[in-house]
Amino acid sequence: MLIGGAIELLMVGWATSRPITNLPLMIWDQDHSPASRELVLALENTGTFLLEDQVQSLSPIEDALNHGDVIAALIIPPDYSTQLTSPLGKPTLSVILNGAESIPAREAQRAIEGVVHDLGEQVVIQHLGLDPEQTAGFNFSLRVWFNESLSEAYYTTPAELGLMLEFTILLFAAMTFSREKEFGTLEQMLVMPFSSLEIILGKAIPVILIGLADFGLMLGVVHFAFHVPIRGSGLLLFVLALGYTIVELGKGMAISVFSKSQHQAFLLVLMIGMIDFMFLGYAVPVESMPRIMQLLANIIPAHHWLNILRSILLKGSGLSSLWPSILALVILGLIINTFSLLYVRRKLE
Amino acid sequence: MYDNQITGRAENLVKKFGDFKAVNKVSFELHRGEIFGFLGPNGSGKTTTIRMMLGLLTPTQGQVEILGTKMDGKSSSILPRIGYMSQSFSLYNDLTVLQNLNYYGQAYGLDSSERKLRVQEAVAMSGLTGSEHTHTKDLAGGWRQRLALSAAILHQPEVLFLDEPTAGVDPISRRSFWDLLYTLVAQGISVFITTHYMDEAEHCHKLAFIQHGEIIAQGSPEEIKKNIMPGQVLEIDTDQADKVIRILREAYQKGKLDYKDLELHGSLVHLITPQVQSHSRNIKKLLTADNISINSMSVVEPTLEDVFIACMRDKVPEVHHE
Repeated sequence: MLIGGAIELLMVGWATSRPITNLPLMIWDQDHSPASRELVLALENTGTFLLEDQVQSLSPIEDALNHGDVIAALIIPPDYSTQLTSPLGKPTLSVILNGAESIPAREAQRAIEGVVHDLGEQVVIQHLGLDPEQTAGFNFSLRVWFNESLSEAYYTTPAELGLMLEFTILLFAAMTFSREKEFGTLEQMLVMPFSSLEIILGKAIPVILIGLADFGLMLGVVHFAFHVPIRGSGLLLFVLALGYTIVELGKGMAISVFSKSQHQAFLLVLMIGMIDFMFLGYAVPVESMPRIMQLLANIIPAHHWLNILRSILLKGSGLSSLWPSILALVILGLIINTFSLLYVRRKLE
Repeated sequence: MYDNQITGRAENLVKKFGDFKAVNKVSFELHRGEIFGFLGPNGSGKTTTIRMMLGLLTPTQGQVEILGTKMDGKSSSILPRIGYMSQSFSLYNDLTVLQNLNYYGQAYGLDSSERKLRVQEAVAMSGLTGSEHTHTKDLAGGWRQRLALSAAILHQPEVLFLDEPTAGVDPISRRSFWDLLYTLVAQGISVFITTHYMDEAEHCHKLAFIQHGEIIAQGSPEEIKKNIMPGQVLEIDTDQADKVIRILREAYQKGKLDYKDLELHGSLVHLITPQVQSHSRNIKKLLTADNISINSMSVVEPTLEDVFIACMRDKVPEVHHE
């Protein structure tokens, strides 16, 4: 317990104390010129981006943004090199940002603007020998999807909402048995004519109700106080919140039966919660983390839950684009709850 | 009166925690309408035994049978006929008297009219009429124990297990607690009770002394006093009891006097020895030589405390594991 905190700090530090890198970028190069290739190379060289794919039409870009697969997309028009080399030409670049993840999106914007600015100066000075004042410069068309104003509230408050739901459920679930153990009422309950399944259900139902009520309340705050839209189906959101609640409930119950006191249960929840926090992309996008951490993120239910939450709220996603996250959550939920149920039942008997 | 019907049986119970034998080959029987007292110092294996009886702990060896059913963790069919009051306060502190009792009633599936009646009885029995809406955390120790007992018997169990129910309760409350127990037993309940109060042991129909996980004496209080006592008790009434004990102990060490046990019993000195008559003259001589005034000196019935302490002395204590 004592060294657990230190190890965790090391892990969180390792995963998050690095510059934002590897942001997935999609490019539609319509120009296919040395100049456009130079631009792509320059973007890759920043290290901020990881070239997800080069595509030939808009629809894969739209799909990727809808699925949350990319943070940014760059569209280079067919006349890019012509405009670049003609005096007073105005090369146009289109950038689409995934505003649902506003912190990485801002970083992407910064990096693209930086590259384009440098490139502009080089072109002006080296190739044309002109004074920078004499050129019209780049025409930059920026579009932000899902979050036009790149409001940080769109990014942070859903993360906070997802995290609060997790902590609420974990804490309540973790207190169920550890509390009775500490007060000495658990033994009494075990000699009462309840089956272990009845005891587990009796403990689980209040936690689920509290979790969902709390979720509704917090969603209200996020929506009305911070104007975060709910673009998808509210019903789907609540059904999936219920599913996520049950996944976390399994974790909390196992902690509760494992712990000898409420203190221990509380500390375990804190440790697990902080690890999950790391994978919400709150401090640093998961894409920027070391490879092993990115793999680890896949087995963290909160990671998938947050993707679902953000997608429904900001992108209005439905089942068709959410199913990979839902499937992951279902699989993790089945594994966690099977283990938890067996463990808790064995401990109760 | 109840045909001495057996309601519970422990056969050669052994419980090991690692290398430590918490309970070692414990066997006893519970009978209808009887209070079975389980006596032993703290850490002697009382609670471990009671937890095995209830199926909360699986014995390393041996088996438990309650009302003809083997207790093996899956014996929930028998649970409605068993009552249990654990060592810690078994009610919820943040619920009121009434809420706690209703919870018990519902847990045991009493229908609402019957529950109402029994809860009312329980409130009256624990003397809490008028305090139905008090939170149990605000009750004094004695009341809490009576309430816990009332709750444990709300569903009218046939066998009742009580784990040190009167620990830390004042003598008057203990007295009335025992009165309650007698009422229950008269109705045909079997009671298994653990305690370390000697005066309570006298109230039991059957007794077992347990030390270091082993039963060292078992039977009715009379049987135990008669059969297990390693001698008779010489009671010395004197104003200088501490001096008396010092003198007699010195004599013992010098080989001038032989006894099994020498104890202060209230303000009286109790000396336990197989040959009382030959010793009393010797003792009188020793004490008068030291100018000690003796008010009286007589052979008395041993109390259970005498027996208990003598029993414990007889056994060479093993290494204590706590």
